[in-house]
Amino acid sequence: MTENKASCPQYYFAGIDIGSTMTKAVIVNGGVVCSVIGATGPEQRRLAGDVMREALDKAGLGFDDISYLVATGYGRINVPFADRQITEISCHAKGVSSLFPQARTIIDIGGQDVKGIKINAQGKPLDFVMNDKCAAGTGRFLEVIAGTLGLALGDLGKTAAESNNPARISSLCTVFAAQEVASRLSEGTSLGDLVAGIHHSVAERILRTVSRLSLEREVVVTGGGAKNGHLVKTLGDKLGYELLVPPEPLATGAIGAALLGKDRFMNALPGLHSTPAGQLPARPRNWGEVTFFS
Amino acid sequence: MAEEQEKAKRKTATEAAGRIGGMVKSAIGGAAKAKQAGKKTAYTFISSSYDEIIRAMDIVPVWTENYAGICGVKRDVNRFLERAESLGLSRSLCTYALCGLGFDHMREELGGMPPNAPWGGQTRPDMMLSSGQILCDPRNKWYQAAQQFMPDVPVYNVDLPWPLYEDNVEVADVASYYIKHIMEELHGLIDFLEKQTGKKMDYDRLGEIVALSERTWDLIWNTYELRRAVPTPMDTGDAMNTMVPMVFMMGTQEAYDFYLDLHRELTERIARKEGVVEDEKYRLLWGGGLPSWFALNDFNYFNSKGAVFPAETTYRMIEPIDRLNIPKTSDPVERLAWRWLRYWTYWYDKAKKRPGSEPDVERLIQYIEDYKIDGIVMHEAFSCRTWHLGLIWQLNQLKKIYRPIPILSLGKKVGREHPSLILESDIVDMSSYSEVETRSKIDAFIETLESLKAANEVS
Repeated sequence: MTENKASCPQYYFAGIDIGSTMTKAVIVNGGVVCSVIGATGPEQRRLAGDVMREALDKAGLGFDDISYLVATGYGRINVPFADRQITEISCHAKGVSSLFPQARTIIDIGGQDVKGIKINAQGKPLDFVMNDKCAAGTGRFLEVIAGTLGLALGDLGKTAAESNNPARISSLCTVFAAQEVASRLSEGTSLGDLVAGIHHSVAERILRTVSRLSLEREVVVTGGGAKNGHLVKTLGDKLGYELLVPPEPLATGAIGAALLGKDRFMNALPGLHSTPAGQLPARPRNWGEVTFFS
Repeated sequence: MAEEQEKAKRKTATEAAGRIGGMVKSAIGGAAKAKQAGKKTAYTFISSSYDEIIRAMDIVPVWTENYAGICGVKRDVNRFLERAESLGLSRSLCTYALCGLGFDHMREELGGMPPNAPWGGQTRPDMMLSSGQILCDPRNKWYQAAQQFMPDVPVYNVDLPWPLYEDNVEVADVASYYIKHIMEELHGLIDFLEKQTGKKMDYDRLGEIVALSERTWDLIWNTYELRRAVPTPMDTGDAMNTMVPMVFMMGTQEAYDFYLDLHRELTERIARKEGVVEDEKYRLLWGGGLPSWFALNDFNYFNSKGAVFPAETTYRMIEPIDRLNIPKTSDPVERLAWRWLRYWTYWYDKAKKRPGSEPDVERLIQYIEDYKIDGIVMHEAFSCRTWHLGLIWQLNQLKKIYRPIPILSLGKKVGREHPSLILESDIVDMSSYSEVETRSKIDAFIETLESLKAANEVS
């Protein structure tokens, strides 16, 4: 992050990104203080609060130390302890721009959707596209294929890297692709070639989704998909240049959320800049359960 | 049974738009009463250039696309879609057609209207007038399929082509061929209707109805142009209602009078500086695609964010008559043929002047400029291929040929970026729709507009 650490050392800002599969919480002041990542699930409605509490514990902070908290992601709407909800488009833009000021395009490969975001030099979104209708090209697609092949999700990239002759996977639909993979495996296609072929298929699907944006460099890949090095390389090979990946690609949305909260707080309350730490009125927060659109 | 509750009624900005529901309900009920009174009824498709002909022959139209849309608005469409699927028709076909076919099959099987059919149900026709044309491919087959369970109801198919855009072909060079063909088709339809009704066409009356339609075209154009005002007095949410007289009542005095009222209302709203929203922040173009009829409240959601739609390409099915340069003729059928051809090729000449452009893209550009548009929203309905497939391509072309141009505003340089949003769902099939996802996309789009506006103000 290119933050001025002296700009607001006494204030803390939090961002929580409740994605379809993972919940991420980040606390910042001048820079990132800590981040916590946990799974999201229908049986884990309290998790958003738990992840936030864990982040506070890790930072050695209490609830009242957080001056502003922004929720983002799929589950952002009903976060009772948040001061504001901001979409993941704006939060990713801000988060990525803080890590890579030269970034102009973001490809976010999430658990159940893919987004492309064009941003300006100030980290503001200029345009975006989303595919949330089809699992192809998302983390879910890779999960299904890994399950079909009996591989751990984290091993897909390594397995694909062993191939010199990626198989051609023609099915675009996740269900049909899983069937095709099983059938090709029984025909004797090697595991490495199949998995490499899947990576090509996913990369092509992602690029088709985001191509409406006319990608501009630098391009940063975020989300769970960015943790798959072979997928990022395949995308880069198809584009003809290297793509950038944040140190923790899952956390950019939450970082952006925290930073947007910080901007909002500092802009709205300029007089507070000189207020000594600890003298601000405590912010009462409702730590009730996140209700997820029910 | 209506398994879905109708959503809370959408708020309309204009009084005129608020009246439309009653008008449609009365037209649907009116068709049933007319049939009981011995009048001939016909299944009809919109935009088929035969509105005036059927009015002149006193045939009562039953607009099948309209009824499917009503089922969508009432969120009572699933039982009809499922019935069509049970007949072996794929869910990926036009869901208007599926809804209509499912409804008809149910009605024919029951020998009466399906229970609790929206607004009394769709009247059994005496004939079906299909319309083979480039606009919409299911029109050729829908009524043929319906004939399987209404074998006694004759189908007449009118072929109404227009030349596709090619930058090296002049419409004028091929116009006479098209006019001859379209006139033959319309005369063929008139012959068919004369046989069905047992009476002859009154061409003087047809001429009067065509003239009334054309006065209505001009009046609509002038009325919709009022929406250029800032703040806009009416947006696309209302236009999805006010299109009804334009699309389903053309050639009637009722349609003309409706737009007179709307014109008056918009003029008054402008004088009072009364906008669709109190604080108009973003002016958007509905750049294509039919709406999700079951989710018209999404327009109110845009409004709640300060975003309004002063213009739309959907259902703006008129141009000012004098600009169409229709050759002078006293033959109303020839007039209809020319109006058809010139309407569909109206943007061709403009497109030729801008390298890389196409008529649909040119229309977007014109509206962006005329209505001071900040961003474009489109809806890609999965089951409506003919209309919706080219939308993304249009946006891509727009971005290629209509680059942001810095403009001067109060001495400051302001960028002219036009971010776009593509909503994905369907016209009536609710299974393709997620309110949460749709509104999340709208939120993100509004934030994008907000950040662009802020960036422009800084620069």
